[in-house]
Amino acid sequence: MIIFIDGKKFGIESKKTILEAARENEIYIPSLCDHSRLSPFSGCRLCIVEIKGRRGYVPSCSTYVEEGMDVKTDSPRLRKMRKQILELILSEHPNACLICSEKENCDEYKSTIRKVGEVTGCVLCPNNGRCELQDVVKALKIDKVRFPSVYRNYEVKKNDPFFDRNYNLCILCGRCVRVCHDLRGSSAVSFVFRGSKAGIGTVFDQTLLEAGCQFCGACVDVCPTGALTERALKYETLPDETRKTICPFCSIGCELKMELKEGRILNSAPSEDGPVNQGQACVKGRFTIKDAVYSSQRILKPMIRKNKELEEVSWEEALDFVAKKLKKYKGKEIGLIASPQVSNEDNFLIHKFAEYVLKTENIDSVVRFSSYAVFQDLAQKNGFELNLNFKIEDISKAKTIFLLGADIVVTHPIIWLEVLRAVNNGAKLIVASSVDFFLNRFSSLWLKMKPGSEYFLLSFLSKVIIDKSKVENLAQIEGFKNLKSSLDELDLSQAIEKTDIEEENIKKAAEILIKETPSVFIFGMELTQLPWGSQNLAGLWNLSLQTQGQLVPLGLETNLRGLFELNRHCSSNTKGFKRIIQDAEEGKVKALYLASPIPYSQKAKFEFLVIQDSFMSENMKKADAVLPAASFAEIEGTFVNVEGRIQKFNKVIEPLGEAKPDWWIISQLAQKMGHNELNYNASSEISKEMIKNIPGFSGISFQKLKKGERLFIQEEKKGKKKFVPIKFFSTSIETSKEYPFLMLVDYNLDYYKNLDLSQEIKAFGIIRNSRWFKINPNDAKKTKLKDGETMEVESSKGKVKGIVKVLESVPRGTIVASFLWNEEETISVARLVSPLSNASHSLVLLPVKIKRGK
Amino acid sequence: MEEKLLTQHFGIENLFKIDVYLKHSGYQAVKKALKEMKPSEIMDEVKAANLRGRGGAGFPAGVKWGFVPQDIDKPKYLCVNADEGEPGTFKDRYIMSHNPHLLLEGIIIASFAVGIHKGFVYIRGEYETIALRFEQAISEANKEGFLGKNILGTGFDLNVFVHRGAGSYICGEETALLESIEGKRGNPRLKPPFPASVGLFGCPTVINNVETLSNVPQIILNGAKWFCQKGLPKDGGTRIFGVSGMVKNPGIYELPMGTNLKDIIFKHAGGMKDGKKLKAVIPGGMSAPILTADEIDIKMDFDSLMDAKSMLGSAAIIVIDEDTSILDVLKVITKFYSHESCGQCTPCRVGNSWINKIVKRIAGGKGKKEDIDNIIRLASNMLGKTLCPLGDAAAMPILSITQKFRKEIESYIGN
Ligand SMILES: Cc1cc2nc3c(=O)[nH]c(=O)nc-3n(C[C@H](O)[C@H](O)[C@H](O)COP(=O)(O)O)c2cc1C
Ligand code: SF4
Ligand code: SF4
Ligand code: SF4
Ligand code: SF4
Ligand code: SF4
Ligand code: FES
Repeated sequence: MIIFIDGKKFGIESKKTILEAARENEIYIPSLCDHSRLSPFSGCRLCIVEIKGRRGYVPSCSTYVEEGMDVKTDSPRLRKMRKQILELILSEHPNACLICSEKENCDEYKSTIRKVGEVTGCVLCPNNGRCELQDVVKALKIDKVRFPSVYRNYEVKKNDPFFDRNYNLCILCGRCVRVCHDLRGSSAVSFVFRGSKAGIGTVFDQTLLEAGCQFCGACVDVCPTGALTERALKYETLPDETRKTICPFCSIGCELKMELKEGRILNSAPSEDGPVNQGQACVKGRFTIKDAVYSSQRILKPMIRKNKELEEVSWEEALDFVAKKLKKYKGKEIGLIASPQVSNEDNFLIHKFAEYVLKTENIDSVVRFSSYAVFQDLAQKNGFELNLNFKIEDISKAKTIFLLGADIVVTHPIIWLEVLRAVNNGAKLIVASSVDFFLNRFSSLWLKMKPGSEYFLLSFLSKVIIDKSKVENLAQIEGFKNLKSSLDELDLSQAIEKTDIEEENIKKAAEILIKETPSVFIFGMELTQLPWGSQNLAGLWNLSLQTQGQLVPLGLETNLRGLFELNRHCSSNTKGFKRIIQDAEEGKVKALYLASPIPYSQKAKFEFLVIQDSFMSENMKKADAVLPAASFAEIEGTFVNVEGRIQKFNKVIEPLGEAKPDWWIISQLAQKMGHNELNYNASSEISKEMIKNIPGFSGISFQKLKKGERLFIQEEKKGKKKFVPIKFFSTSIETSKEYPFLMLVDYNLDYYKNLDLSQEIKAFGIIRNSRWFKINPNDAKKTKLKDGETMEVESSKGKVKGIVKVLESVPRGTIVASFLWNEEETISVARLVSPLSNASHSLVLLPVKIKRGK
Repeated sequence: MEEKLLTQHFGIENLFKIDVYLKHSGYQAVKKALKEMKPSEIMDEVKAANLRGRGGAGFPAGVKWGFVPQDIDKPKYLCVNADEGEPGTFKDRYIMSHNPHLLLEGIIIASFAVGIHKGFVYIRGEYETIALRFEQAISEANKEGFLGKNILGTGFDLNVFVHRGAGSYICGEETALLESIEGKRGNPRLKPPFPASVGLFGCPTVINNVETLSNVPQIILNGAKWFCQKGLPKDGGTRIFGVSGMVKNPGIYELPMGTNLKDIIFKHAGGMKDGKKLKAVIPGGMSAPILTADEIDIKMDFDSLMDAKSMLGSAAIIVIDEDTSILDVLKVITKFYSHESCGQCTPCRVGNSWINKIVKRIAGGKGKKEDIDNIIRLASNMLGKTLCPLGDAAAMPILSITQKFRKEIESYIGN
């Protein structure tokens, strides 16, 4: 398409607005309410242009280009009108500094005077120097405002975590409202009142927290003014540098840009063109990174235990000590635990260290408990090919999305945004859960079910679909007969009884799955963590084959997928987590090298315990040596995200204290133990070796990785498909008179290495907290428990304490708690559900009794 | 001469009850349309009748219906605009309280013509009794088989729902009205897309004013030709004029389209109250540019008023006498718009609020010389440059008043 802008001819490829076309061709049209990721709003009216042959003036931000269109973006008349409009905006905005002729000389005082309460001009505003309003004022050369300025005199809202809202600075561009509603699905803020009182606010003027804000920070990022500013930047001046890296706080792997001042991180925010996150992030990546990296819990110096106390020593001494001690043990007497939160390179080296230096098979990690492991097991036993890769953008193209076993708004926020996009495009969302998740309000169908009864639901859906769809198509897939006959056992009344779902809803779900294709089945860890988790997964697998849908397995930790690929190939015959701990309990494993937090085990006693981590922890009480590892911000390497995408992350700051990269520590130790073949000078050297040796990484060039190309783990493209027959057995976990409540345990992802974000970062702990025991208001009333009180939960395995959190979303008779690997004994939920215990009960469900704690 | 067509039976007691209505040839139009006519024939008839929208913009109803795509698998909706927020306007209230079934007939016929099975009637929040009465009418019509499933055995289904407004003027603007029915804040939408293709819940939607639809039954019964004869060839039918202000007999007058304004005021409404002199007339609801006493010898139809740089709008005639200060008029108008702007776009939100402040300042005796020019500048900056027509609706009367009565306003500004 050919259009003319200011007399020049331009070729335009796709449907876009005049403003977009102009921007692409570096023609400046002033704008304030438009934002490239948001739908047009056309409120500010600064972007008006003239079109030949049309009457009047049109906003270029919402007028789409048409063949032959002749646009005029600049003329004395347009300039005059824009100036007038901007004057109107400025008449409601503290404008003294904007039009002050002395503003150039004012610079030096900027940051010091900002500590006053009211922002009456730019010099007092945290947005000074990064403000779009300032830019537009400059571009339009405004030097006076012909109206007396009105100060709205709103109270600045400072009662929420992480950012303040000063609506005295708001220009009503509506960007925050659009991003919150359209992109994030929160609708925490919206327009309030009308006429001259119109503004932005929350319902009934609640705090953001009360209004359901997720604190994703998206509104802060799009706000063109200082109305929304993060508190961390309030007293900072402008950064002198910005660096990009990957967020390590979940498996999405958002690209973040970090602002730096004199080598110190100021803040972190999603980068606009992040390949996975596209300008979005979540509360963790947006607001907690800096505090986590600079946490007072950081281990800054090597330590070894001398006279029962850990003492700081030099690296030389620490490494010598550890090397000497480790040499004393035979391979099978040593265990290692790798981490899903360090780089592939680090893990590769840890595996190599185990194999070549320690000569032990006792290496494992939490991968063992992941859905990947359960899936792999199912695939191997039943002879089908495992495919874990997916592309995040495929989700928004689906017509049906079936979600099980994860509250993705919390665990995989960016996946949620994609689901929301699909729903906004008209897709049907089906959620099977017992808890009323936030996103259920967007679902077409919520299958409220008895916790843990998934495979009855899934199998029954399979059965209905077999009955209703063309059998010939399905019969061609291997294993169809076996599946069909295995489902004969299950009838409707049984399915209803086991799941507690209404008949009508089960039927509706089947109908949607048959009619609305393509479908995507997203499942989280909680689906596979029951003793019959593999049956749950089998049910879902069959359903996905029947409907030709795509399975989206959600790994949890940052680099879980990368570690899984390594495990698959490096240590297929490892002993396993449970065995290592059991062997320790039996005295067979004597030394443990921990590069990751581990599950609690009281009985396991080690002669020699090494901890390599960035943060202090409970386990340190027992450690003989503590080696300070650098955090992600201080090193470079690669992570594999939940999609199977390999992403390079970059060094942002120098390591704190004497912390060193994990690979460096391992490499040094290996050399001290006489293995010079593990001598590396940079993580990139390890990348190259890993790419050569690990099939999943094969064919990936390090150059491409550096350039940020889209690279995925290599998988068999069209794997073999086969139905899995379902075995039905008595599976429910029942409450009893003694233990009348059912405790649902979520996997808590709010940790980085040994740091519990909710305990370390106060503001984050207000939003969600690892110590919360969530309970339904009715149950709370009956048991006289109040928000914020201590409560005690007791199962047959013991007691733990938590903090009462009363929530409507929790079903009656249920306590929802979360699970961290490494907590102090009295508060460790892990202790009750540890996968290391011998009891065969599940990791996520257990009958308990509750009472008020002290 | 007064010509009672639409309001023919309005004097009959309890006409709002369906049994009374049926006794006075009620639902004959529906019967004719559904049983004897094809949807396309109805549409053609309404097009030929040149029935122009009575909500304000005067867009031909038949043409509007024709914009709705027919080969689409989405549901289609009808929204009846009974928000009646335009100051000076009280005709829809009159129709709905006297004869709700007439409107229902219009709704049924329009829905049948366009292939609509769900209709929403958006009733101004303050019209509580009218809303109740209308709900009553809906349930009566349901019982008698004029609404619901398989209407009159024709296989046509239609359900009608009442949606109450909450007191905001902007919700009368058609796209804001859609937002409001969807349960959202009533902000206008960007156009295009137009409601006929993407309307309520993203589906094709027809939006018509109460009076517009109430004219449909008689077009069906008497034909397009008859309808045009009763009004003007390009602007058929009668118009319900609501006359208010300083006349002897304020009230509702149904008169042929094109009746002279002077006659309306001096013949039908009995002339000026207390023998005062006429100063000015707002001829089509508050958004219409003002006419001075010299300009009222004019035919009241869409095109004639357009030619006079005013507009017929909702045909609400506000009569202003010599004792009324034009500044007071301006104060009321500017206060209204600065309060009712939805706040989305700058020129309207901030502009109206400044204009109101300036007018108040002048009224308070603190006016400045440049104030009138400032008002004109601010209003011109709205005209044609805002997101929805409310900006124009505010700018037009303000500009016409400041320009036509500049001298009087200047007299309030000291030196
Ligand atoms: C600010 C504003 C307020 C409006 N209020 C009303 C109203 O109260 N009633 C109405 O019928 N039309 C109102 N309209 C006109 C509607 O937008 C729309 O044009 C009309 O309902 C279409 O119906 P019609 O074609 O039958 O006239 C308003 C328009 C604007 C811009
Ligand atoms: S928001 Fe921008 S223009 Fe306003 S005071 Fe702050 S820096 Fe200045
Ligand atoms: S932080 Fe996120 S959820 Fe909260 S108001 Fe802003 S955009 Fe909405
Ligand atoms: S708070 Fe910021 S983003 Fe929201 S409307 Fe105001 S200026 Fe725009
Ligand atoms: S925690 Fe996950 S979703 Fe949040 S910013 Fe980091 S990578 Fe993105
Ligand atoms: S013109 Fe006024 S009412 Fe219309 S969108 Fe703009 S601010 Fe809202
Ligand atoms: S950028 Fe177009 S109106 Fe604001």
